[in-house]
Amino acid sequence: MNLKKTILECDAYNYYGSKPEGEIQTREIRKSPSPRVEKARQLYFETKSSASVEFPYWYTRRWEELEGEIPIVRRAEALKAGFQHLTPAIFPGELLVMGKSHYLRGSYPMPWLSEAFFMAHEDELYKNALEAGKVSADEVTTMGQGGGNVTKSIGNILSIAGKFGLRKEEMPILLDVAKRWHNKSVDDIGHKYEQLVPGYHEKEEIMRAVICMFDSGYTLPQGREVMNYYYPLQYGIEGIKNICDEKLKESAGYPGMDRIYFYKSVFTMLEGLQSWINNHAEEAKLMASLEEDEDNESEYLETAERLEWLAVNPPRTFHDALQLVWIFHVAVLNEDAISGLSPGRLGQVLYPFWKKDMDNGILTRERSLELLECMRMKFTELDCFASMGVVGGVLSGNTFNNLCIGGLTKDGESATNELEMLILESAMTCDTPQPTLSLLYDEKLPEEFLLKGIECTKIGTGYPAWVNNRVAMEFLLNNFKNEGMTFEEVRAWSIGGCLETSAGSWMPLILDGVTHYIPGGSAPATSVGVHFISLPKVLEAVLFNGLDKRTGRRVYPAHDYKLESYEEIWKAFQEYFSLTVKVLTLTNNIQHDVWGKISPSIINSMLKPDCLEVGKDISNKGSRYNRTFNVEICGGVNLVNSLASLKKNVFEDKNFSLETLKQALEENFGYISATETGTYSITEQTKTADFQSWIKIYKQCLDAPKYGNDNNYVDSIFREWQEWFSGMCENYRSLYDEPLYSCQISVSTHGPMGAVTLATPDGRLGGTTFADGSVSAYPGTDKNGPYALFSSATCYNHASSQNSQLNMKIHPSVIQGREGARKFLEMIRAYLRKGGFHMQFNIVDSRMLKDAQQNPDKYRGLMVRVAGFTQYWVELGKQIQDEVIARTEYAEI
Amino acid sequence: MNHIDCKYFLATDVFKGICKRTKDKIIADEPACSDFEKTPKCKHCKNFSMKENSLGLCMNKATAYPDMQAITCNDFTWK
Repeated sequence: MNLKKTILECDAYNYYGSKPEGEIQTREIRKSPSPRVEKARQLYFETKSSASVEFPYWYTRRWEELEGEIPIVRRAEALKAGFQHLTPAIFPGELLVMGKSHYLRGSYPMPWLSEAFFMAHEDELYKNALEAGKVSADEVTTMGQGGGNVTKSIGNILSIAGKFGLRKEEMPILLDVAKRWHNKSVDDIGHKYEQLVPGYHEKEEIMRAVICMFDSGYTLPQGREVMNYYYPLQYGIEGIKNICDEKLKESAGYPGMDRIYFYKSVFTMLEGLQSWINNHAEEAKLMASLEEDEDNESEYLETAERLEWLAVNPPRTFHDALQLVWIFHVAVLNEDAISGLSPGRLGQVLYPFWKKDMDNGILTRERSLELLECMRMKFTELDCFASMGVVGGVLSGNTFNNLCIGGLTKDGESATNELEMLILESAMTCDTPQPTLSLLYDEKLPEEFLLKGIECTKIGTGYPAWVNNRVAMEFLLNNFKNEGMTFEEVRAWSIGGCLETSAGSWMPLILDGVTHYIPGGSAPATSVGVHFISLPKVLEAVLFNGLDKRTGRRVYPAHDYKLESYEEIWKAFQEYFSLTVKVLTLTNNIQHDVWGKISPSIINSMLKPDCLEVGKDISNKGSRYNRTFNVEICGGVNLVNSLASLKKNVFEDKNFSLETLKQALEENFGYISATETGTYSITEQTKTADFQSWIKIYKQCLDAPKYGNDNNYVDSIFREWQEWFSGMCENYRSLYDEPLYSCQISVSTHGPMGAVTLATPDGRLGGTTFADGSVSAYPGTDKNGPYALFSSATCYNHASSQNSQLNMKIHPSVIQGREGARKFLEMIRAYLRKGGFHMQFNIVDSRMLKDAQQNPDKYRGLMVRVAGFTQYWVELGKQIQDEVIARTEYAEI
Repeated sequence: MNHIDCKYFLATDVFKGICKRTKDKIIADEPACSDFEKTPKCKHCKNFSMKENSLGLCMNKATAYPDMQAITCNDFTWK
């Protein structure tokens, strides 16, 4: 082919307002953590993501020993063996200790969930998974090439999923363990039974076409939820064991016998955690014995004493409480493959301990800040071992631990406190990706707190995200009204994962005789069910009568509509989308049912009210709230822009026929596909020699009305889609016999899902990344300024969906100084007052991102906001990097 | 023997770690120093017998692997 390489006649990025010129603008303010934490951060920067087989080995060994045991008890024993045998590691200078494994960025495979994806590609298990469409997303995902990712095998180290390093000597046992789970894992058993669902064939084709990103039942069965730390903080581990003992005596032999197996399992698990904690106490003593520096020695001994205390008792101090919270956070992460396990409103949970220590003069603000910085490092060190499609294509290497600040108390007053001000400060001094922050905005929050939030957002960390408290409460009250949610209880909500509004409860923490009502999660995982449907890909199937044009395979039964009107296209779209939701709901229900039977949650169940009270784990509806299965979508704005272009160009103005448009889409408007060029934004594409044949139709598609400009033509299509989507989800029922609901975030799926999709009628080129989030404009198409974007984004009721997501990129010069901060806050307020649910920002000069792409070694610490999370630039795949660069940069607001 | 086999090796990742004694950063697969002390691993245990395909048996019943850390194993007994 005779190629003519030219660049589109525009900048490498899009902007609104005066084009930034001169030197690249850097951050207005830069702060530093304590020397101890800076050292830890540098160590983190040098550390690679590392997997080990220790935990799965001992889990599997114990599991096999107990064949015939009650499944939940068998699982508890297996988990206990895993925890008991984890090699302890305490790194120099740590004030908070313990992690997922003995590596600093450690994680491990969980073959009891799924065992195929980490096998060699020539292995039969991997080939079977490929055939079933389970690893299609892996094949089209690009992984970040820098930072801590082990992208290639080297020397004694093998690369798994393009991210995790595994020592060669551990590979034989990993294969041995994985094969022991063949036909026994949640993945395999689920696969066996989901084939009973009528239409299962379409499900496999949907997965192969990457219309759906992944099955949730065996990939990330828990997460996108909020932790509840009440029981350990109130009772301590031995106290909870005593509760189990009492409940066992009350339950044994009485009807509802499953309770005794649950309490027995919790008791067993807690014994495992006690061994795990005590092993670390011994390690701390060993480290102390090797120390020549007296201060360091006494620090290790204090750590040992703290761990020995917490292995039995409730916390005495803020430091104890923070350590115990961390222990249980990691413990939950170690029982399942989990992303989005959020600490929730931690500043409010820990405030009674903090205030007591401050009042007693045993804690200072400086020490508090250092402890919070240490906490940030521990969260940042978390990795989730998953397939490339999941860890790269969805998570971008992140684990989405969202810490929320603000919101209201049980009585409806501002819930923020001095500790939350320190949490914000620590997020600036120790600017690491985790935990990300979300500010639950309410008009009752004090201005000083809001301006502190602005100060943090301004420095370019990407957090806090700004979230509308009232919209969230409206959604939750409606969603959980049939399960008894009250006005008082709804105020305990928090964000689980990136942006998933999650139900909470007020728990009565009694400290020194005073009762403090602390918020905590009281619902199981959200974002389980139908995970990420690619809307532009469904439209592609509509236009091509059910075919996937990338593979040539038939995905859906032919609709055989002539598509002679816009209404007919919309009808065909609704039918294909509905078919997709139906079959995925049914198959995912089966997967989650199998998960609950083979691999139920024990630790997380214990923590979630009211599992411990009623003696049921979360898969048996032990949680207080259970309407948590949803339908997630991706590429909504590209769908809406495409529908507008079809309506305008084909049916109203008759600029070209549908057949001509389809041909143009197949010819990619005369450009080479992004998957061939390796550049994924529309601004840097290469023309073919034949591009002149398509230039007119391409321009007409680009010129069609675009979402994000306060244009009623396209906004009315957006509204119609949103209202239909939220309504139709209620037609499907979850495993827990509750209606599904709509959820709108892209995470990173807009990269790989864009990569498999032809050009779209809105002028997006084939293989390029979709618009991010759910109400963000497609890069470069929001031309009328931020307030026009806000009007478009709020053209429907955001409370009808679990979330909506708006990303904006603002040049740092626009919001400089106090005046800039005020202006910025007022802009955010304006959006939230219009009913917007969420907004988040990259405060960055796009030219810096371009430079970082070309010179990654200069930017190890650079972070950007993707879609609900902040990540190190160098650990993002190119699909997402290109999209973030291309986002419209606001040089005026 | 290499650092990775030493009692004082604190692995930070699969490639490298820190010496617990000196706090120096060290490479896992580089030769250990004169202060080397063996860390408990299955391959040093009386209860472990090597079989084929780089795997072995623990107490003649469970599959095990020679390089597994055994610091937390109650049955570990030095050869």
